[in-house]
Amino acid sequence: MRLTFDDSVERFRAEFVAWLADNRPSEEEIRADPALSSGHLPVWAKRWTRRMFDDGWLVPGWPPERGGRNASPTEQLVYLEEMERARVPRTTNPQGLGIVAPSLLDYGSQEQIENYALPILRGEKSACLGMSEPGAGSDLASLSTRAVLDGDRFVINGQKVWTSGARHSDFCFLFCRTDPEAPKHKGISVILVDMETPGMTVRPLPEIVAPEYPDLNEVFLTDVVVPKQNLVGTLNDGWAMANGSLAHERGMVWVSSSIVLDDDISRLVRDAPSWLGRVSEAERHALAERIADAYIDTAAARCMGYRGFGKLLRGGSAPEQALMKAFASEARRNLAMVAAEVQGPEVLEASPPAVHATTLVPDENTSWIEQYFRTFALTISAGASEIQRNIIAERVLGLPRS
Amino acid sequence: MDFELSEEQEQLRDSVRSVLERECPPAVVRAAYEGRLDGEHDRLWRVICELDWPAIAVPESMGGLGMGFAELALIAEEMGRAVVPAPFMSTVAQFVPMVLETSLPEQQKILLGTVLDQGAIGTVAIAEKGSGWDMSRMSTEARRTRDGWVLNGTKSFVFDGADATTILVVARASDDEGIGAFAVPSDAVTSTAVKLLDPSQPLADVELRNVLVPDDAVLVEPGDQKGAAGIRRALEQATAAVAMSMTGTCRVIFDSTLQYAKDREQFGKPIGSFQAIKHRLVNMLIALERASSLAYFAALTIAEDDPRRSIAVSMAKAAAGDCQRLIVQDGLQFHGGIGYMWEQDLHFYLKRAKSGDLLFGSAAAHKANVARALGLAA
Repeated sequence: MRLTFDDSVERFRAEFVAWLADNRPSEEEIRADPALSSGHLPVWAKRWTRRMFDDGWLVPGWPPERGGRNASPTEQLVYLEEMERARVPRTTNPQGLGIVAPSLLDYGSQEQIENYALPILRGEKSACLGMSEPGAGSDLASLSTRAVLDGDRFVINGQKVWTSGARHSDFCFLFCRTDPEAPKHKGISVILVDMETPGMTVRPLPEIVAPEYPDLNEVFLTDVVVPKQNLVGTLNDGWAMANGSLAHERGMVWVSSSIVLDDDISRLVRDAPSWLGRVSEAERHALAERIADAYIDTAAARCMGYRGFGKLLRGGSAPEQALMKAFASEARRNLAMVAAEVQGPEVLEASPPAVHATTLVPDENTSWIEQYFRTFALTISAGASEIQRNIIAERVLGLPRS
Repeated sequence: MDFELSEEQEQLRDSVRSVLERECPPAVVRAAYEGRLDGEHDRLWRVICELDWPAIAVPESMGGLGMGFAELALIAEEMGRAVVPAPFMSTVAQFVPMVLETSLPEQQKILLGTVLDQGAIGTVAIAEKGSGWDMSRMSTEARRTRDGWVLNGTKSFVFDGADATTILVVARASDDEGIGAFAVPSDAVTSTAVKLLDPSQPLADVELRNVLVPDDAVLVEPGDQKGAAGIRRALEQATAAVAMSMTGTCRVIFDSTLQYAKDREQFGKPIGSFQAIKHRLVNMLIALERASSLAYFAALTIAEDDPRRSIAVSMAKAAAGDCQRLIVQDGLQFHGGIGYMWEQDLHFYLKRAKSGDLLFGSAAAHKANVARALGLAA
């Protein structure tokens, strides 16, 4: 047990920090050409991704030909910390870099890696993730978008919803039902669909705040025809990928959550004294205790994250990540709520328009109440908190399924 | 940050756990509860002394094992797991740190010698009924005289106060120059054991009436800023140790509750298959992980003398308090009528966890400390 990292890890950190200073896009550049959704690659983002790929800083844990430098897990952790601290978006297409590309590298054919995974990593293409449907949210395995194999092609019909970045993405990593007779987990496949394919219709869904930057979409598929070689992995074996995909997403998500929490709590602790100066002493005490609670949650998220990471390094169980997902996302939601209440009625004044949340360079001007509403994206998406609790109950605690 | 135990630490924890499983099964705790401990109390303490656990964080130069606070904290966690009715917390987590943080080498030799060589029990008297562990409001008074310092006042919630050979008393100078620490032999005071909800962890009131402390028994002179900081550092260690031991106790309650939820069937299935129970068990786990991670963090900041240690200790104690609140409540609730019975062992752990929150500053007190440290409260 100790508080610090090895010198070699700190040297790695220093090297990355220096590289970042020389190569990162400036905040002005990012603001001048904002990402319009999590499928949009502005010019600076394409250049930035390519630069990280070429210099081995895109996914440091991977080998150089995939944009990395074979960094150790601890080095990857330090990398994520510094990336988040520098307030530069690692990518404007998080689901592409975080889920689609790694899944293709794990399960895809050589051709799919060449034509889909590597272009994502070089900043040339963006991808969306076609999972949720109107009738399949938390119960993802009951999805009904149907792909029928017809000779050397699939014909796909159905509807996806809450598809982040779909209207700007180049292709979709689409989960569909390929065997309606099989038990629900056993008839699902993943197919790559170019968004330009005839029969694809995307309708943006303006969100609870900042409706001018809709990220979520409905995607309608009507007789969409794609070649058979767009099947990823084995036919009817897509469920394994659904679990695998989300595992990619959950792996170290806590690092960025933890740094964002750090940022948020510093902002709150900085601003709170002047807000608290306006209320009665009794109210000040009540509010101060709630800020202290949020502060403790922030420290706990960091400590729990590192503790889980330590276990992971030594071959411990991964389902504990579900615990971090639930805890950190709820801590962020709670912190924003407390901050909004501490600020008082002025918090109701609308914020100036900001770039979209997923690619947001943290903006001092975003009101806490808008931030509070946005944090529900964290507790609802990628497995709602209630689903995380089921996962923890069954896989970590070994409780029987209901 | 790395919270994984080193191989040596893991061995230490495993050996402490197995010794306590053997020497301090719930039957021993029950004997403490039912006033049938007799010689057991002394026997347990002798075992602890023979294994040199009191020497764990004492430097080798002083005859100790030369390990640090991280190792002491690991033992405290195990003490909480086994709800041990022996004077470990008082002597090892309070008395020894106070001696090491505040006294001169020749005083250390004498005070530590009685513990390490003779197995004496030592304790620390800080709290008072009117001010708890908030040293800025304590009223026990130290007055300078020609022959030394004279102490007057009443200390409460003194761990093992009725059994200790030496009591380190923290008092405030009558001229308000600050706090000091004084080594007082037990025969100079009136210690009264208090009848307790949790008799496995004895507490006493200690009355000081014109107790004369000669100069060589003064550990910290009031007004000595560095010495006062040492007192606070020792209090931080004691508080962190209580937080660690609470998480150990809460872990046992949680494990028992989880097992019960798997075993107990109603409506034809285990109650742990119902989401109403499942999700609350997960909330208990989250509270436990939150508290445990912060307790380890606090222990590490003390072990490495990190500048965050004071706020880290308050966060750990606050989180331990939050944790016990949930774990005690749902732990007892989910055990149903069984958990309500004296004959079940569960209540030893429920009571130890509950009392842990109220000793060395409650969650509310430590959250106020955090708020103060953040500049949010006076």
